[in-house]
Amino acid sequence: MADRRNRDHLERLWDELAECVFRLSDEATLAESTETGADPQEEAERTRLVLQHALQSVESVNRRLSSLGHTINPKSWKSDGNVFQNRCLNCGTILMFTAGEPRCLALYTRCPAATKGEVLSDRLFQRPIS
Amino acid sequence: MAYLLPFTPSATPPPPDVPEQKPTKSITALKKSALVIEPHDSLSSYLVKSLNDAGYTARTAQSGEEGLRLYRECAPFHVVLIDYCLPRSNGQVLDYCQPQQHGIELAMEIRQLNPSQPMIIAAFEYEHAHEVPRPEELRGVPVLVGVGNELRQMLGKIDVERAIQELTTSDLLRLRQFAASRMFALGRAARGRTGEDLLSEAMLRTLMGLESVEKGRHWNKNVDFVRHLTGAMQSIAHCWKRTFNDNEPYLACELLKFGEEGEEISPFESLASRRPTVAQDVIAREQEDQILAIFKNDREAVAVVEGLLEGLKKNEIVQKYGLAQKRYEAVLKRIRMRLSRLRPDEHGDEHGR
Repeated sequence: MADRRNRDHLERLWDELAECVFRLSDEATLAESTETGADPQEEAERTRLVLQHALQSVESVNRRLSSLGHTINPKSWKSDGNVFQNRCLNCGTILMFTAGEPRCLALYTRCPAATKGEVLSDRLFQRPIS
Repeated sequence: MAYLLPFTPSATPPPPDVPEQKPTKSITALKKSALVIEPHDSLSSYLVKSLNDAGYTARTAQSGEEGLRLYRECAPFHVVLIDYCLPRSNGQVLDYCQPQQHGIELAMEIRQLNPSQPMIIAAFEYEHAHEVPRPEELRGVPVLVGVGNELRQMLGKIDVERAIQELTTSDLLRLRQFAASRMFALGRAARGRTGEDLLSEAMLRTLMGLESVEKGRHWNKNVDFVRHLTGAMQSIAHCWKRTFNDNEPYLACELLKFGEEGEEISPFESLASRRPTVAQDVIAREQEDQILAIFKNDREAVAVVEGLLEGLKKNEIVQKYGLAQKRYEAVLKRIRMRLSRLRPDEHGDEHGR
């Protein structure tokens, strides 16, 4: 039996376990949430909030970078499959973040090439010099 | 003395024998609806055409007063487009000598009437969105400064926001359960990420996909939004797993087992060497054994797990083990719920290890 199993079949098991939630009726879905001791409405709204928050995250990251003096082309975010990357046009720092965790030093440090004094909040949206 | 220009409506007035059609609410019920408040005919036509191309039916107004009246009569709209430099009207004429920033005031009034009304401010006079002065309350309102793809992207984002708003409780719970199951399947490759992280990532890819198909995951509006998100989550989870396997293989010490007398037994010893996927095979077998061990007292669950691990399809499993379809679904639910209690992100357990 073990010889016939492989990783693909294990994947199939995971796929089937994930997919089966879509074969449940609305009532069964709500009941399942209640069975786990959770409040279905609360769980659902929390999920909606996660989606809404993610939708705003790019703008939040752009605003954050801008306030730190980094200048990026907001249209140049690229994904390598794991993280989204861009590059500060001032200091050349590679800026990265994921939706779940904006983990990038540049998100917490001022752009060293930015003008001293107050950082203009509009720097971010400057277009690259062609 | 204020210099007043005569007010000239852009649309040709209807012939006298045809009664002017009164705006009705039906426009908002039929398809996606938009209200365009733009005094310049050419810009208004451009915006209406762009909206039509995006599947919207648009009403137009040339002044803030007319726009507000239409809004009060026909709201809510799926989107309201307001020209930033909107002149005030003085009865029947537009006063171009007054400061032409009435668009912002109008946007504020609409915001007060309906705080969740999606709006776009068109400020073609500006080169960059950040240059457009506006109060803090309107910071989240997108500002359109260029032609081309910008409006399409903004409308796409509004569509996504609406789709999120329209998700039912059951939809959201299913998405949550699906995400949790996919993260559980990742095991160590989850690297501490949770189902919510997976959902966020899927949404982010969707957002990037509005700009370009190459950058993210394009949402085809013919596809149910829930299905779109699950597809995105599935491919992201596969990507995370693939990346993890490539860069962070298991250490042999993590797979060590101990015999009855405490001696170390490496699982690699029982496998043919030099196989490129030897580590992954070991991981897979370990996981299978763990799952089967969890359900050792549940005959039906073992049958379903065994069947799926053998590569059998649902109907084949049902037939082979004499399970009714409903029973099969109930067993799957039982397996899923049991495994979900082992999730490290929720219970601190090391993924059943």
